[in-house]
Amino acid sequence: MQPKDPTPEPIVNEAELLARVDNDAGLLRELIAIFKVEFPRHLSELREAIGQGNLKSVRKSCHTMRGMLLSLGATRATAAAAQLEQSGDSSDGAELKSALARFESEVMNLLPALEACVAKAGP
Amino acid sequence: MRILIADDDVLSLRLLERTLERGGYEVTAVQNGRLAAEHLCRHDGPRLALLDWVMPELDGPAVCRQVRQKRQQVYVHMVLLTSKESKQDVIEGLESGADDYLIKPFDSAELKARLRTGLRILRLEDRLVESREDMRFKATHDPLTGLFNRGIIMDLLSRELSRTHRENGCTTILLGDVDHFKDVNDTVGHIAGDEVLREVARRMVASVRSYDYVGRYGGEEFLVVLNNCDASEQILRAEQIRRAIASVPVQTIQGPIPVTMSLGVLSSRDWGLRPVEELLQEADVALYKAKAAGRNCVKLASPHVPPNVLHQSLEEQPK
Repeated sequence: MQPKDPTPEPIVNEAELLARVDNDAGLLRELIAIFKVEFPRHLSELREAIGQGNLKSVRKSCHTMRGMLLSLGATRATAAAAQLEQSGDSSDGAELKSALARFESEVMNLLPALEACVAKAGP
Repeated sequence: MRILIADDDVLSLRLLERTLERGGYEVTAVQNGRLAAEHLCRHDGPRLALLDWVMPELDGPAVCRQVRQKRQQVYVHMVLLTSKESKQDVIEGLESGADDYLIKPFDSAELKARLRTGLRILRLEDRLVESREDMRFKATHDPLTGLFNRGIIMDLLSRELSRTHRENGCTTILLGDVDHFKDVNDTVGHIAGDEVLREVARRMVASVRSYDYVGRYGGEEFLVVLNNCDASEQILRAEQIRRAIASVPVQTIQGPIPVTMSLGVLSSRDWGLRPVEELLQEADVALYKAKAAGRNCVKLASPHVPPNVLHQSLEEQPK
């Protein structure tokens, strides 16, 4: 019998993110604002690239989004982006779509988690 | 310290920019490799850079290669900051010319410590360049007057004469000697004598154009090379120097000392293609004539050209 994972990884590693922005709520808000504009744009480019089977663009979009997610301490979404970027090396359309679905489900709850983090940052 | 950061991910770029500004850096942020290379290759561009690997137009390693190739006068410390983390990537990144390699996401304290390492290297390089320039100056200049030393002024004269001959132009050689300088040293001492030489040098430099050369030829002898000097002007220019030196006594710790200079003038156009030493010998003869004529005057070297040399120099004139 497999042991049960006692604490699932958080959506955002708050301690890491707050240290990275030096506990600056203003900067965190600014980063979230950038995320709200940039992330949907890259996600839409990724969907389009997968639809067209353009693997080079898939890898590029994934790489950029992974960088963003890393900066925000979004641990789980970063791992899903890395998996999707890896899938970009194979031409298996079904695998790509399934990796995309996993990725989308990971990023779905990201924004509320980030906004919750703002409240914990300094003034 | 100025630093350039390059990343196509606007979010990471802003985070990095703010982190570095907090660390006291003056940050230039760009979103592609081409712009990064443009900034870093400028002669006054930043000397510290943090570069993402994957970027549009030019990736991080390509930026490193371009900077290493184009900006060789000063060293630029470049750090690749990337989420590419395999050993092969690290090796490839460093081989491209990067000095350091950091994996995203960056840890603020580590990033700042690595940049401080870069700053230490840049400061060390600055000190080395400064020492090299200092040694170069000492090897080419006279320590007392700051003028070109004998070896260098001779080289410059030789180069200028060759150019003049090629272009059928004219170079004027002025050989000047401070009158009765031995008496100055004997009566007021060497310290005041040195002050006289320094002031004479300063006045000579102030009397010529920025592209003419002035050197210390011997003890109290000075050599001036006037580039592209029209033959009709050469006496006038020598007179200007003579007057600049004689006009006001030199102030020394022993009080004001009146100083004059005798000058021998030689125009390359009158002498054709001759060895530098020979032309200087002729200028020295003219200087001797100036001394014999009562000093504080200018004499022109008149040619005694052997027929074979005259023949040769005429043949070399452009038709």
